[in-house]
Amino acid sequence: MNYNPLTEEIVKELESILGSKNVILDKEKMENYSHDETPEEYAHMPDVVITPTTAEQIAEVMKLANKHLIPVTPRGAGSGLSGGAIPTFGGILLSIEKMNKVLEIDYDNMMIVVEPGLVTNEINGLVEDKGLFFAGYPMSLLTCYIGGNIAENAGGGKAIKYGVTGQYVMGLEIVTPTGEIVELGGKNVKDVTGYDIKKLMIGSEGTLGVITKAIIKLSPKPKFATDLLVLFKDVESAIKIVPTIISEGGIVPTSIEFMDKLSVHTTCDYLNEHLPYQKAGSMLLIEVDGTNESVVELDAETIGELCLENGAIEVYVADNFTTQERVWSVRRNIAEAFMVYSPEQSLEDIVVPIGNIAKLMPEIEKISKKYDIKMPSYGHAGDGNLHTTLVKNPDTTMEEWFDIENKALKELYDAVYKLGGKLSGEHGIGLKRMKFMKDHLSETELMLMKKIKQAFDPNYIMNPGKIIE
Amino acid sequence: MNIIIPIKQVPETSNVKMDPETGTMIRDGVESIINPLDLYAIEVGIQLKEEHGGKVTVITMGPPSASKALKEAIAMGCDDGILITDRKFAGADTWSTAYVLAEAIKEIGEYDLVLAGERATDGDTGQVGPNIAAYLDLTLGTYISKVEEVNKEKIVVERLLEEGYEKLELPLPSLLTVVKEISYPRLPTLRGKQRARKTELPSLTVKDMNVDESKLGLKGSPTRVVKIETPKVTRGGTIVSAKDDDQLEAAVDKLVEFLKSKEIV
Repeated sequence: MNYNPLTEEIVKELESILGSKNVILDKEKMENYSHDETPEEYAHMPDVVITPTTAEQIAEVMKLANKHLIPVTPRGAGSGLSGGAIPTFGGILLSIEKMNKVLEIDYDNMMIVVEPGLVTNEINGLVEDKGLFFAGYPMSLLTCYIGGNIAENAGGGKAIKYGVTGQYVMGLEIVTPTGEIVELGGKNVKDVTGYDIKKLMIGSEGTLGVITKAIIKLSPKPKFATDLLVLFKDVESAIKIVPTIISEGGIVPTSIEFMDKLSVHTTCDYLNEHLPYQKAGSMLLIEVDGTNESVVELDAETIGELCLENGAIEVYVADNFTTQERVWSVRRNIAEAFMVYSPEQSLEDIVVPIGNIAKLMPEIEKISKKYDIKMPSYGHAGDGNLHTTLVKNPDTTMEEWFDIENKALKELYDAVYKLGGKLSGEHGIGLKRMKFMKDHLSETELMLMKKIKQAFDPNYIMNPGKIIE
Repeated sequence: MNIIIPIKQVPETSNVKMDPETGTMIRDGVESIINPLDLYAIEVGIQLKEEHGGKVTVITMGPPSASKALKEAIAMGCDDGILITDRKFAGADTWSTAYVLAEAIKEIGEYDLVLAGERATDGDTGQVGPNIAAYLDLTLGTYISKVEEVNKEKIVVERLLEEGYEKLELPLPSLLTVVKEISYPRLPTLRGKQRARKTELPSLTVKDMNVDESKLGLKGSPTRVVKIETPKVTRGGTIVSAKDDDQLEAAVDKLVEFLKSKEIV
């Protein structure tokens, strides 16, 4: 695809649409918008950064960009892990950071109407006093924007019970790639009026339009939570217990987080955590929540007993702030702990049917041995979504690493697909996984995706170089 | 070896909101936890019991809801818990609290060691532990960071000081207040939780103890809170900035002037 360079005339037009303070050309400032949380090698500088404040401004910018064939990359907080917000072809970087207002809190319908640049956790802060919360949030909720969550259909540690972002998006206002403003969905709980374009926008990674407003469903916030930190001697016994908890125990936990031996040992070591983890071959962190304290306690006990009957070495119970912080910090610090070992990593989020996680683990070990890299696996066992991470051996050169990363990823994805899995559960395809995705899609599915893209974005200027070519 | 550990329930303070008018903490909806520093005393107590046998008893003075803290300590591995509770205790300061705890310990009877956290994260005074020792006329070791040796007559410990460590040999029974360095508190286990649920917690009230009622509660406390104030931040800070290289020299001069005026250079 050939795009036109950004000219002074176009910059002037942008300034007249947005006001000059919302048009950034300073190299140092633009650098911040050239990358997300993926490694440096994916970064690319934009030609201009704009910070619009209204949907109307964005519509005008899109019309201008179509006229001159300039690529436009929408961006949230930049906490993505797929390169989705990186302006791969330069052009206009559209940051939604200034569109961060709360437009309405509708307690009667338990919904909140927000602009896309609102930090996700602020929603929870605003409605907490009324006993409500936004249940679809990802692990990065303290920094990420709700608009980015919707564009990526982000999910997190509580998906097994509460699902992911998309389930809580009732309505959207978007600006199409050709510059029309359109409202999708609304406050109706049921709606089958025509094709569900709103759902198509969710997870479209900014390739089908810019989200400018969202109606988000709120849920009653559970008052009590108990966490179980369970040590197992091996991976198999930990993974096998997951379906048992739900089927035999009759309980849907809020989270079931899995950590393999390498993750547990590295992180406990890093945190100076003195749990008797040395004997553990894997660990599960299971949370149950609810509105009745004794029911939560009983659920936790039922799960704990099931674990002990099925090969758990020890079950620890955390039901207050001190102990809960302690057990969750083990899970939260895994990535950071491996950063100390080697900062070059490829953080994946493969997903397989939960029954197949145990079968995947030996495959991961094979790849890890073959390429002499560490491959810790941890993540959301409850929904089969694993953050298998490729960690560069500090002894190899960068060039060798890129080659290893490429080959190892291909083998990992092949193994995942053989087990009925997919290559991304929550981080998205973006730039990073585009070349791998097409190996695993049927021609028809790929063709349908391309036609959808074409219908929205005939000039291919909206976040080009992401998901599909 | 029989060990008694007085513990305190404190508000969990990481998300605390203050009432801007009264300057006090809004306690509604705030979770209560075991004073984090008491966990280290509990851990040491359990370790000593595991090594030398005997029994660990946790005690706390507070409303009936404080039994949750005792149950948590039992879930970690303590054997018994006693709740010291009576409306007459309400509003007690450190002096009155230590008095009641000391009287309660007398009621419990035979013991070799009393272990306490260095201080509580809410009051932050560090007085109750030493105060109990005074009431019971026990040898006191504060800021203990390591237990080196213990037998029937004595205990050898290390005490953390600003300049280093002090090695102490204390007769038994005695009272030790411990610092974080001494141990890594264990987490309660499921089996521990189940045991804690079944464990009956006897309670001691005013009529169960030989206490002088004039020394109890707010009335019996010599400490008076006269006023609570939020300190004003008086340090403003001075920023000397240079927008480009041309301004750099002038800015450096300005900074040097400032440092001279403060007699720093």
